[in-house]
Amino acid sequence: MNESNFTNKFLKVFGIENHRHNRRDPLNILVPLVSIALALILGMIVIAASGRNPFRAYALLFGDSGLIPGGSSWPREFAELLIKSAMYIATGLSIALAFKGGLFNIGAEGQFWVGAIVATFFGYWTPVAHTFGAMYAALGSLGWIAQLLHGAVCIIMGMLAGGAWGAVAGYLYVKRGVNIVIGTIMLNWIAWFLITSWLVTGPMTPPSQTFTSGTFYIADTAKLFRIMMPTRLNTSILLVLIAAYATWFLLYKTTIGYEIRAIGYTANIGMDAPRAQGININRRVVQVMFFSGALAALGGTFFILGMQYQFPNTATMGYGWTGITVALIGQAEPIGVILAGLFIGAMRTGATSMQVANIPKTFSDIIEGMAVGFIAMQVAVRYYLVKIIHHRRARTTPPADQEATA
Amino acid sequence: MKALEVREVSKMFPGNLANDRISFSVEKGEIFAIVGENGAGKTTLMNIIYGIYTPSAGTIFVNEKEVKIHSVEDAIRLRMGMVHQEFMLIPRFSVTENIVVGDEPRKGIFFDYTRAVREVRELSERVSLTVDAQATTGDLPVGIQQRVEILKVLRRGAEILIFDEPTAVLTPEETADLFVTMRKLQEEGKTILFISHKLKEVMEIADRIAVLRRGKLQGIVNKKDTNEEELARMMVGRNVVLEIPKLDVPVGDVAFACHDLHVKNSRGYEALKGVSFEVRGGEIVGVAGVQGNGQDELVNAMIGFSRPVSGSMELNRKSMHMVTTAQLRKEGMSYITEDRARRGLVMPYTVRDNAIMGQHLNKPFSRGLRMDYEKVAEFAEGKVKEYDIRPGDIYDTAGSLSGGNQQKLILARELSLPHNFLIASQPTRGLDVGATEFVYGKLLEEKKAGKAILLISLELSEILGLSDRILVMFDGHIVGETTPDKTTEEALGLLMLGVGIDRKVQS
Repeated sequence: MNESNFTNKFLKVFGIENHRHNRRDPLNILVPLVSIALALILGMIVIAASGRNPFRAYALLFGDSGLIPGGSSWPREFAELLIKSAMYIATGLSIALAFKGGLFNIGAEGQFWVGAIVATFFGYWTPVAHTFGAMYAALGSLGWIAQLLHGAVCIIMGMLAGGAWGAVAGYLYVKRGVNIVIGTIMLNWIAWFLITSWLVTGPMTPPSQTFTSGTFYIADTAKLFRIMMPTRLNTSILLVLIAAYATWFLLYKTTIGYEIRAIGYTANIGMDAPRAQGININRRVVQVMFFSGALAALGGTFFILGMQYQFPNTATMGYGWTGITVALIGQAEPIGVILAGLFIGAMRTGATSMQVANIPKTFSDIIEGMAVGFIAMQVAVRYYLVKIIHHRRARTTPPADQEATA
Repeated sequence: MKALEVREVSKMFPGNLANDRISFSVEKGEIFAIVGENGAGKTTLMNIIYGIYTPSAGTIFVNEKEVKIHSVEDAIRLRMGMVHQEFMLIPRFSVTENIVVGDEPRKGIFFDYTRAVREVRELSERVSLTVDAQATTGDLPVGIQQRVEILKVLRRGAEILIFDEPTAVLTPEETADLFVTMRKLQEEGKTILFISHKLKEVMEIADRIAVLRRGKLQGIVNKKDTNEEELARMMVGRNVVLEIPKLDVPVGDVAFACHDLHVKNSRGYEALKGVSFEVRGGEIVGVAGVQGNGQDELVNAMIGFSRPVSGSMELNRKSMHMVTTAQLRKEGMSYITEDRARRGLVMPYTVRDNAIMGQHLNKPFSRGLRMDYEKVAEFAEGKVKEYDIRPGDIYDTAGSLSGGNQQKLILARELSLPHNFLIASQPTRGLDVGATEFVYGKLLEEKKAGKAILLISLELSEILGLSDRILVMFDGHIVGETTPDKTTEEALGLLMLGVGIDRKVQS
């Protein structure tokens, strides 16, 4: 077997061969890149206007973002970048998948926290924790199997719960006509206050502790493996890459994905073509919301199993909202979401050291916001890009048809 | 004086020469028609004249002066105006607001609505196009909305008016009104370009007619020196047989039957008031009627989109009470819709993906959960060849195809589904002669193959030519049943309008 044949076989196993669903348009890649570039340029102006040196700010922002190897602090920054990105990619995938089905799932935030609290529960709940603890002790050098299983239980339960939380919004939309944006926003707050104002400060707090200490800590067997000592980098980045692949596969290789995209293409303009072909739109909408919720919840389980090891009293919202940014910059394509998630993760990592140098962290938020702004204006960005490209071409090579008439 | 002249204009799209060295001139005060099949390049040509596209080569003269038209603004400055096929009106705006939008009379920085209304009334009187200046645009019938569109164009001072397939959305009465309007505008000295593929209308209204085929000008003829057959031949490039051959096919078993069907429309009003009929294998049953007499509700109930209030439906002698669209399709129902854009195709999807929608869960297109896009592509390639769907790349989006090719794609999909009952709802709406001929051919093939066909159409010639039996619908009832050899267009026309029907017998 020669090498290219092997590569082909390998690609075929993963279904990546012949991936052609539409004409490839380089603008699809160019638009987000140009948007980010424009945001960075505008960001410099904003920083300069505030009387600070934009070059120094960017040197800190990107120098400490973990993107550029080198220096003694790089491994830690790199680890932070990947840990953050894993969560942003998860919520980004959640929103991207819903987008593909024509649904704006603002509820990734709530689904994220539902996933987090359920993972916490299965991480510390005595019957589960003891089972896996005993298994770990019994297995000896094979103890990692118990860790693997306990982690898997927490992640799967978290994802099922988050998926169910998303499916509720889908169900309300399908059966009761509750707008998906309104429904998911409401469910966000219900989830958030149910968790932080009741579960975390009440039933899930160890009896001896005060209400400010957060929940029980999860058992050691539930924690994600660390893969780059001494940093706290864990397997979440690998898991989220698998999730991204699964999302891509779902969308572009399965019958469900075929229907989801058909529904998404026609949903917001009130068209009936998929329905007239016998596609059960209601069922698919609920399914999409389930998958979407499960992906957001995956991010939530990373938050607990990879970083906090308990549900802290100090958790702040934002992972789901960031997912919207990631999905928009990533153009709702899984591969785009991975890249966008890494970019946002890098900005957030670098922002911390920017703040140490007395440059407010909010500048990185401003840049993110402007990037999303340009993406939202992508019709205009596209229009000018096409103009520039045509102008270039016209200058370098005279158009063929004009030559013909001359 | 020549109001407009086009000299050697070409437009090149990647891989497609949409207009190939087209030259013609239009005299001031003339009604000049441009006819051609869907995709012949009519719309491209108009978009060049109206500044939406820039030509790849060639020159344009307005009032015998060479001009460069780079944008719609340029075109408006040159006193041109386009009445679009799809109206560019805001439904919630009043007629006045729609007419003045973009060029509103002002009082200081404020919009002077009273003056706008006065201006609109004056304009509408001057050109004798009656509209209610203060009515909400969305509430008006389509014909009146088009009048608003014409007034908007006139208010901008248009001397050359381009009508892009203006009759496509109109009823016959509205079309007659439009022609009266066009004559009036002509008397005022306006120049009119009339784009159409309906030869009957062109012969009625135009002074001269230019025929396009595949981007090339086939010729310009005077109306008085030509006839419909000659125009059709020029458009299609060969003799068109719109004579439909009579096929004698033995009538088979009952495929579809409904009994005393009552259906409400979307506004909750009973629009189908007790309809019973059956369709057998090998026969085409035509449903004639003026639009809005219950045909839409009948179709919606038949395809499982709405639940009948009462009555029963059977497909292949099985009750289809409360079943889903998927179940109906599994039982052997195919459906050709008149609404290609909304109900027929997923426009941003490729030809490939549209070709199998509805069959995508069947082998070989998928196994279990996994799609086999290679098999899908193979199938689509085959259908594109068999049905001659142009331009022929299965990775083109359905939305980029011309209307005729979209319809071919729908036919390709629906006829390749396993089925024995076909609903054809206005299957030739908006299609040119060539595509219409193609659809008729396919329907007759279906009949020959023993399929049961329900043909719903507003075109009486179609109903009379294709059907074995004709049902006439009026006000939610079937008010008559006849056969083509026992009736005429006139007799059907009267029945469709409810003339001579004793309502008491019906209810």
